[in-house]
Amino acid sequence: MPKCTINGQEVVVKDGATIIEAIHHNNQKIAHYCWHPGLSVAGVCRLCMVEIEGNPRLQIACNTVVSEGMKINNTSEKVKDAAKWGLDFHLINHPLDCPICDQAGECGLQDQYMEFGKYDPEMAERKVKKKKVVDLGPTVVLDTERCILCSRCVRFTDEVSKTNELGIFNRGDRSEIGTFDGKELDNKYSLNTVDICPVGALTSKDFRFRQRVWYLKDAQSICTGCSTGCNVKVYFNKEGLFRVKPVFNEKVNGYWMCDEGRDIYKFVNKNARLLKGKKKKPTGFEEFFPGALAKDISSLVTADPGKVAFVVTGQFTNEEYDQVFSLWTKKWGSKNIFHWLNSPEKQNEFDGLLLRGDRNPNTQGLLKRLKDFGISTQWKDLITKINTHEIDTVVVAGPENPIWFPDFKEKLASLAKAKSLIWMQSSNHPEFENVPAGTYLIPLKSFVEKEGTFTNYSGLDQKFSKVTTIVSEALTLTEACTLLAGENLMIRPDPNVLIAAHPTADRVTLEHRKKNEFVFRRGAL
Amino acid sequence: MSVVQRKSKENEWYLSGIFAGLWITGKHLVKNLLNKKQMPTLNYPEEKYEYSPRFKGNHVLTVKKDGSLRCTACMLCATNCPAECITIVASEHEDPTVEKFPIHYQIDILRCVFCGFCEEACPVDAVRMGPEWQTPGINGAQFNYDINHLAYRPQLKGGIQTVLDDEERHKSGI
Ligand code: SF4
Ligand code: SF4
Ligand code: SF4
Ligand code: SF4
Ligand code: FES
Repeated sequence: MPKCTINGQEVVVKDGATIIEAIHHNNQKIAHYCWHPGLSVAGVCRLCMVEIEGNPRLQIACNTVVSEGMKINNTSEKVKDAAKWGLDFHLINHPLDCPICDQAGECGLQDQYMEFGKYDPEMAERKVKKKKVVDLGPTVVLDTERCILCSRCVRFTDEVSKTNELGIFNRGDRSEIGTFDGKELDNKYSLNTVDICPVGALTSKDFRFRQRVWYLKDAQSICTGCSTGCNVKVYFNKEGLFRVKPVFNEKVNGYWMCDEGRDIYKFVNKNARLLKGKKKKPTGFEEFFPGALAKDISSLVTADPGKVAFVVTGQFTNEEYDQVFSLWTKKWGSKNIFHWLNSPEKQNEFDGLLLRGDRNPNTQGLLKRLKDFGISTQWKDLITKINTHEIDTVVVAGPENPIWFPDFKEKLASLAKAKSLIWMQSSNHPEFENVPAGTYLIPLKSFVEKEGTFTNYSGLDQKFSKVTTIVSEALTLTEACTLLAGENLMIRPDPNVLIAAHPTADRVTLEHRKKNEFVFRRGAL
Repeated sequence: MSVVQRKSKENEWYLSGIFAGLWITGKHLVKNLLNKKQMPTLNYPEEKYEYSPRFKGNHVLTVKKDGSLRCTACMLCATNCPAECITIVASEHEDPTVEKFPIHYQIDILRCVFCGFCEEACPVDAVRMGPEWQTPGINGAQFNYDINHLAYRPQLKGGIQTVLDDEERHKSGI
C-alpha cells in the first residue's frame, strides 16, 4: 500500500494503482479523455499530464503507477500549459459543430476548453475533412470529424462487449473510427460507446436531436428492464423522460447497461400511460378520477373477499408487496394471490454480462414475500376457479412494461372471464380496447414516480427514490389496494408535475463563470 | 406600494392649479392650430415615423443561397430568450453536411420583449430582428409566427440571405 502526496494531500493507494486512479479516489479533478475506469489503459490523449517531484518531464497519470513517497502535482502552471497545448492539438481538425452536435453541454472538449483553453488559436492549417453522419448500426451514428481518437469505443467493443466491431483505420490525421467491411456496430451493449465517447463523435439514434442536454435534469433510479437491476440515471424535463444512462455500481452493473434497458423511459412517458380511471361500458369507456373509482368499486372486493383473486407481477416494490399482502392475508384471511410470471422458460437465462431473461426488476422480492406470507398458489388453479365461479372478482396488478409480457393478450382474455375484472397498471395497452363491459382500469404510478426497494436476482436490496411526477392522479399499488378495501386515503395531487423531486445543484461553478464571462469573444468561433 | 401624502398650502388650494393646467393646454391648442407643421404628433396610420434601419422589430429567419433555412436548430436563441417565447423542434436533415435543421420554429411574438438576445446568441446569423414593427391583427390573427412567416413572408421577397455560408467556410479551410 504505497503512500503518495497529491497536490499536497497525503493519500494511501492500493498496490499497483495508477496516479489517475489515486486522484479519482481522492475526488480531485484531472483532465482526461482516453482513460476510463472500466477499460484498459491506452495513454493516447496526453491530457492527463502530472508533475512528479524529481522528474524533469511531465508524465501521464493514467499509465504511471504510484510508488512509495511520490509527490504528484496536477495544478501547477506547467501542467496547465501542457493540457492547454494538448487540447489545442486535439482541436486542429475538429469541426465547428457545437450548434448541431448532440454532445454540446456535456462535451469533454467544451469542458476542458473552459478550464484550459487557449482562447486564441494559433493553428493556421486547413482542417482535414472527414465523413459525417456515418450510420454505424441500428443504434449509433458516427461523425468521424468530431472524433478525437481516444479509442475508448474500440476498447469497449474489444474488452467489454467482446464483439470487436470497431477499429481505427488509416494513419496520422487521416485516421478515423470505423467498422470492418460489411459489419455493423450491432450488439446488445452498443449504446455504452455513446456514453463513454468524451465528444460528440458517437451519438445515439434514439436521442439524436430530441433535446439539448442543458434542458434536461437527471436523477438516479433503478432500471426495471430485467432482474439485474442496473443503477441508472434518468434524464427528464417538463415534456417527459428522454434518456437513461448507467451509473457506476460495483456490485451490480459496473459502468454499463444494456441497450434494451435504455428504452424503459418510453413506458413511463405520458403518451404510453393510462391517464384516467376507466370503466368499460358497452358503448365505450367512461372516465373517472382514479382514486374515486377505486373507492367506488370497493364493494366488489369487500363484499366477499374470499371470492376475490389478486394477480401480481414482479414489477412492484417490496414495500408495496408487504402492505398489499398483509391486507389480503391478515385482514381478509385470503390466500388467493397469484404470481403472473412472464415467460417462465426464460427465467434463468443470462447473456454473460448484464442482461437476464427474467424481465422483472423484483421477482426475487415477490417470491420471498409470497413465501413469507405462506402463499403457494398455482396459476392453473386460478383459471379453474374462475371457470367454476369460485372466484368472481379478479384484481390485477399488471406490468409497467407490457412489451416484456408476451402472454399479455392471452392472460387478459382468460382473466376477463371472471365476473368483474379490476386491472391496475401504469401503462396503456391496445388490448384494453377489447375488454368486456364491466372491466375497470386503474392507473398506477411507474417506478420513477414512487420510492421503494427492488431485490435483484442475487438478493441484493436496492432502494430508489422518487424522480418526478408524470401522471399526477395515478396511485401506487398500496394506495389503490387501500381504496379498494374501502378505506379512506388522503391523496394530495402532486403540484410539482414533472419537476425534480431532488433538484441537482447547478453544475457550473461560480469560478468558471467568473473566468469566462468576459473572455468569451463574439464571432471568434 | 406606499403613497406619500404631503399636506401643504398649495394642494389645499387646488383650483389655481387646475386653471394653470388649462392655460398650458389652451396655449398649445392655439399654437398648433396656428402652425400645423410643427405639431409633434403624427396622423397615424396615414403618416408614419421613420425609425432607424437598425430598429429591432419583428424577427426574420435568414436563408442560404439556395433559399433553405440557415437555422441549424441549435436552440441557443431559445435558451437565451428571457421570455421563453421560442419553440424549436429539430430534425435530421438528409444532407449530411447540414445534418440538423428545424422542422418547427415558432416565436410567440406577443410574449417577446424585443430584447434581441436571440439575435445575439445565434452562432450562424440565422435569426435577425428586422425593422418591421407594425404587425397588427384583428380577431383570430396568428401571433405565433412560424417558419413560413419568419423566413418567407411576402415582405421579405423570397428571404433575407445570411452572411455566413458553410461552403465558403469549408473552402477556406475552417
Ligand atoms: S464534440 Fe464537443 S466540441 Fe466538438 S462539436 Fe461536439 S460539442 Fe462541440
Ligand atoms: S468515437 Fe468517441 S470514443 Fe471512439 S475514439 Fe472517437 S472520440 Fe473516442
Ligand atoms: S427578442 Fe428577446 S424576448 Fe424576443 S424572441 Fe428574441 S430573445 Fe426572446
Ligand atoms: S436561430 Fe440561430 S440560435 Fe436559434 S436555433 Fe437557429 S441557429 Fe440556433
Ligand atoms: S487519460 Fe492519460 S493519456 Fe489519455
